[in-house]
Amino acid sequence: MIDTYTRLLETVAELEDAPTADHAVHKLILHLRSAGRMRMLPEIVRELRKIAARKHALRPRVEVAHEKEATHALAAAAASGISATRAIVNPALISGWRAQKAGVLVDRSAKRALVDIYQNIIA
Amino acid sequence: MQSIIERIEKEIAAWTPQEGAEEVGIVRAAGDGIAEVDGLSKAVLSEMVLFDPTFDRPLTEALKDPAPLYGLVLNLEEDSVRTVILGDASKVYEGMLVRRLGRLLSVPVGESLIGRVINPLGEPVDGKGATGAQLVRPIEREAYGVIDRAPVNAPLHTGIKAVDAMIPIGRGQRELVIGDRGTGKTSIAIDTILNQKNEPAATRPICIYVAIGQKESKTAKIVAELSERGAMDYTIVVTASASASAALQFLAPFTGATIGEYFMEQGKDALVVYDDLSKQAVAYRQMSLLLRRPPGREAYPGDIFYLHSRLLERAAKLSKERGGGSLTALPIIETQEGDVSAYIPTNVISITDGQIYLEANLFNKGQRPAINVGISVSRVGSAAQTKAMKKVSGKIKLELAQFRELEAFMQFSSDLDAETKKRIDAGRRMTSVLNQPRGVPMPFEMQAATIFAAINGYLDSFPPSEISTIETKLQDYLTREGDGILANIRESKEMSEETEMALRAALDTFITRHTPVA
Repeated sequence: MIDTYTRLLETVAELEDAPTADHAVHKLILHLRSAGRMRMLPEIVRELRKIAARKHALRPRVEVAHEKEATHALAAAAASGISATRAIVNPALISGWRAQKAGVLVDRSAKRALVDIYQNIIA
Repeated sequence: MQSIIERIEKEIAAWTPQEGAEEVGIVRAAGDGIAEVDGLSKAVLSEMVLFDPTFDRPLTEALKDPAPLYGLVLNLEEDSVRTVILGDASKVYEGMLVRRLGRLLSVPVGESLIGRVINPLGEPVDGKGATGAQLVRPIEREAYGVIDRAPVNAPLHTGIKAVDAMIPIGRGQRELVIGDRGTGKTSIAIDTILNQKNEPAATRPICIYVAIGQKESKTAKIVAELSERGAMDYTIVVTASASASAALQFLAPFTGATIGEYFMEQGKDALVVYDDLSKQAVAYRQMSLLLRRPPGREAYPGDIFYLHSRLLERAAKLSKERGGGSLTALPIIETQEGDVSAYIPTNVISITDGQIYLEANLFNKGQRPAINVGISVSRVGSAAQTKAMKKVSGKIKLELAQFRELEAFMQFSSDLDAETKKRIDAGRRMTSVLNQPRGVPMPFEMQAATIFAAINGYLDSFPPSEISTIETKLQDYLTREGDGILANIRESKEMSEETEMALRAALDTFITRHTPVA
């Protein structure tokens, strides 16, 4: 039951329509209260937090080694199907960029190249 | 130094960035050797994944521990996958990147593995460096079908008189070795491997000994014995010790089967020993419970039967069109208090083509191997038994069974008639003849000659207590003076009338020389 309610709220949230979401939450609370199932509310919140955390981890993300590479990286990532509004600077990449979204990774960083070469040599 | 520079330059020149996007996931939770991974939405069952610790670490840290850590996808769930970690699970952390490798779990196979000790992933653990095996094969595959198979028709000699005479094993057969702990199950398997040295090199099976959940010390001892006796020249040892993860213990028999299948497909004969499948079942139960699969009888998962049947079904004798190779399986099952009706033993008994049942009582009485002839059986092996052995061993099983019956009565009555006493003495004598210490496998021609002597009354003049000494002398005598007879049996694999007459003459001479003075 908790799962069903959570899925419902998740679907509503995906619409990105605040009034509809408010309305859905209001209706759900009324329903739970009338059914005497208000105890389920904290469980539903916990599940929604998990889903939010998962979505955050799988969100579109573009990382660049230097700020100056951001424009090129965002454009290249978008061409690979990963659209992000801004790029995060991650000096650990050494140079280049990498983009990630919902289980897809495009890695064009120098760090990846060096790790690959190193692993090929020691293999 | 120059060569190192050149090697690195070559690698740099050869490196090309990976085209396109990779499929990756993020570890959501990890523990007890299991990782739950988000994002691998296209992963398939039994696919390998790579846990990548280099992704979110600076380069200097990333290169400190470059050893790859693999996982195996075993559960596909609605929004995540569950994988077993094939290695040090403590290195997996929440948020770690997981890459799909796009291939099923595979292990290296090939001739270069012979003489090596490897883990279930095919990595060497004997300190002798890389195995050099180039070919890889997926460890899970469908067994050969009816059309590809031929009937089992060639014997696999174990070198153990009691087995080769009464429970013969054929090449391509699956013969279960079952018994309580410490009853000599492993000894039968090791003796069988050692005995293959007596086979001509051209038809000698490649042996694969798979140690599952065994103590490292026991495996080391076995490897040392095999090396010392020259058996590692045709043997591969796959080990997943008691300290290895449940996933590796579960995979080890499949690795053994995959390696064996490679040789079978080359038209060769292979023998694989699974020591033991009870421990594999326990490891699989552990994994299944951690993967939250519903438990069934004795908490084993519902597919425990399928686990063993799909493994053992891979043992086969291939048709001529397929090269005529074979893979013989000797699975071992450990029983508790002799209970063969427990879940796993009954499963494996029903899958295999027979069983060699070892009994603690017989072991404690000093019988070696402690085989209970009454409930041991080989369902297809007799078709593969050599004519020579078939001729000499025809009645042994029945006679021994009758002896066991009489032996039970004997405990209540000391006043026995002459006929019964004669039968009991004959039974005792036969039991002594079939007694064989561990590590002394015997070529089949010698077995045939010895058993021939026993069943034809040549040893009747000796008391049962002296049989083992006389038997040793007889074997020395036949090796020295009856070499032509043994060679005849070995080459023709039968006991022709001429050979029989020559053997009888040799035995008469031997008996005349050794008959005790009244």
